[in-house]
Amino acid sequence: MDAAQIAEVTQMMYALRNPAGVPTYPIIFVGLGVLTFALHILFVQLMLGTSAITIFGSFSNNPYWRRLAAAMLEIAKVSVSVAIVVGVAPLLFVQVVYDPHWYTSNVLSAKWVIGFIVILILAYWAMYFYYFQNSKNKDKTLTPKSRWSMILSLALMLVVGFIMHSLTSQMLHPELWKTWYMQNNSLDYSGSTLHAYNLWRFAFFISMAVPVAGAMLVTYRRFKMVRADADQAYLSWAANLGKTWIKVGSVISALLYVAWMMTLPQTAGDFATSFWGIAGGVAVISYAVWAQIRLKGEAKFCSYMALPMALVIGLVVAISREMLRYGILNDFFNYNFMDYK
Amino acid sequence: MDLISLYPTWYEPGVGSGWVVGIIATFHVLASHTSVGAALLFAYLSHRAYKEDRDDLLDFVKKYGLFLMVFTYVAGSITGPGIWYSTTVASPNGIGALIHSFVWKWATEWVFFVIEVVGVYMIVYLVGKVDKKTHMKISVIFGAASLATMIIIVGILSFMMMPGKEAWFEDGGYLNGFYGTNTFIQTGMRMAFMFTMTAIVGGIVVASIKDPAFKKEMTRKLGWLGIISTLVGAALFQWYLTSVPSQALLVMENRLPDYFGPSILIVLAGTLSYFIITMLQPKLLVAGFAGFMTVTFLVAGLWPEETARESMRKPWVAGQYVYSNQVIGRDVPGMDIKSQLPIIEKVGILKAHPFTPDHLKEVNAGNQIQAGEFIAMTYCSNCHSPSETGIRPLHRYFPQDITQERMESYVRGVLTTGNIAYMPKMPMIESEVQSISAYLVLNKQGGQPAVTAAIQSEIADRERALVKTVADDNVALLPSLQENK
Repeated sequence: MDAAQIAEVTQMMYALRNPAGVPTYPIIFVGLGVLTFALHILFVQLMLGTSAITIFGSFSNNPYWRRLAAAMLEIAKVSVSVAIVVGVAPLLFVQVVYDPHWYTSNVLSAKWVIGFIVILILAYWAMYFYYFQNSKNKDKTLTPKSRWSMILSLALMLVVGFIMHSLTSQMLHPELWKTWYMQNNSLDYSGSTLHAYNLWRFAFFISMAVPVAGAMLVTYRRFKMVRADADQAYLSWAANLGKTWIKVGSVISALLYVAWMMTLPQTAGDFATSFWGIAGGVAVISYAVWAQIRLKGEAKFCSYMALPMALVIGLVVAISREMLRYGILNDFFNYNFMDYK
Repeated sequence: MDLISLYPTWYEPGVGSGWVVGIIATFHVLASHTSVGAALLFAYLSHRAYKEDRDDLLDFVKKYGLFLMVFTYVAGSITGPGIWYSTTVASPNGIGALIHSFVWKWATEWVFFVIEVVGVYMIVYLVGKVDKKTHMKISVIFGAASLATMIIIVGILSFMMMPGKEAWFEDGGYLNGFYGTNTFIQTGMRMAFMFTMTAIVGGIVVASIKDPAFKKEMTRKLGWLGIISTLVGAALFQWYLTSVPSQALLVMENRLPDYFGPSILIVLAGTLSYFIITMLQPKLLVAGFAGFMTVTFLVAGLWPEETARESMRKPWVAGQYVYSNQVIGRDVPGMDIKSQLPIIEKVGILKAHPFTPDHLKEVNAGNQIQAGEFIAMTYCSNCHSPSETGIRPLHRYFPQDITQERMESYVRGVLTTGNIAYMPKMPMIESEVQSISAYLVLNKQGGQPAVTAAIQSEIADRERALVKTVADDNVALLPSLQENK
């Protein structure tokens, strides 16, 4: 892109700002957006991870897996609810500071935006359907009914995740917005296409469900073990599984993070090798190191730290993600969100 | 810079983007109002249960709470942000105006919303697992948080019709925009109707009660709640009408269909009859009947009410300063907002719109229909579908034999001047008047197929011209290339 083209895109983004301005310093909204996004994505990952455990356990003949599947379904149900509720906050804050980008991205894929709502409701109801089909069964080691509905639920959750990923990716390509609005030389008012995505980025955020679910397993054991009637062998098995998931999952996620950084658009410049670009990946891999050191043996007391640690790791990644957005919009397109007043 | 804050247009040919918002919003009203009403009902029933040491009332709270969790909280908590999603794509500047004025109100509502969602889980899962006093406290906090979400959101909804106080336009200040007579009356009206919905939806749970005596008691409790709230709500609706701008009443009288008034009365009468019948004969209250009444109230009661509220705002979509077609149509000195109409009058809508493709910035013989369609989509499609179906289709407003000249006179004399009370003023420069007129005539006489064919023809001509220009340039370059050899 030459300077004139960049200037034209910058002018467009400034024009799209709401004339009402923002009611306080934009950095406050960005900060709140990052913090609440970290909370939101933690519960999204928890919901995906525990759903996956529920499905895997429902197909396993191992009684431990069956019990674990039933227990994690309870976590999945609540996690979906919390993920939605907490997700409202970053949605609000992004609309204050990044409204030109968010609104444009959404309108250009409007059908998917509306589809998001319907698909998410169906996904949630499918999970509840599975729950009601099996909740009255006291013996949690029996083969669950209607396993298809839990698979459907997880599949639909991944679809809504991909829609959100695509909308967020589209925000970062203001240089392509007008091109996307034109399809086959004619204006496309249908909003029927998802125009941008980065599978590595999507895979990274989804893969974080593995270490986060691992953290949940460790926490589960810590919470249940204090009961006099607790099955310590089962709980230890679950916790060991969780520790493995944290370590292996963090390594997989870190690799996917590197792949994401290697496939950033040119407009991101040298973000991948910048402080925040590296910090995100280091944070993810450090979760494996932390688990190796702090969750050794019984680890009764720091077991509860597994989930807060996941939140801290997620927060670093959320900051890194925000810095990437800032880098593209500010450094490449000269769009300074700090002067939105 | 002559660009204004206009986004691309999403055009939904089936029902229209406005109806997509309406469908989601109506469903959300049912879910959210029922949730809030039920939260207060739970606090009352829990209080009675502990005072009279009754487990059956607590069991009812648990059952109703679980029902709400699965249906209204799942659907309600998703359709809540769902309204944001749908308005974002159907009316970005409308929702933007609200968010940029009331972000802290929304953030506050969100905090109460979090408490509400945590509360419903605690209410359901902690019955019998914590002491009575603690459960009662949870019930009260849950009820208060639920009510707080409604009170906050009503302030924002009121602003959509009109800012709370006229002073907001001159002095700004979000409290001036948020609170007004309309806000308080609407809050009361919605609280009344939320109890009506709680009573109707609660019937589905009451239907499953096996003990006849308890069923009778709960039917009567919900019946009285429903009757009183319906009558109070109907009275408050009349009061509400006195608090809206006279322009809104004028639009309501002229734009709403004749059946609107009678149908609302029929719904009210039907609702009251339902409560009376089930109170007299509780055995008639079965899940199917209660479910049918819920859907009836949703479709015949809430839908017209939401449609009326949306229609009455016209030509505005938010705060009496953002037109329904997203253009800012008046100055708001208190917010440093300037009307965008002077800019459009000066340069035209095509040059003012940031998303106008380069080849449509100037109207010429080769792009007249494409430019006309772009203008119609920008200015009209939010309220008038250019297709056969959808919301208030454009073609219905013109006679079959309308000519280009007559259409231009209409556009010039009516649309660009804003001479229709419920339609925005839509400034256009002369070439744009001709362009949209040509499009509207073609749309009327040939429909969408004719428009599509004309646009394809214009595109083919443009591409041919481009190829020829490139070829001519290459030919012109040949001598210099040969010299360089």
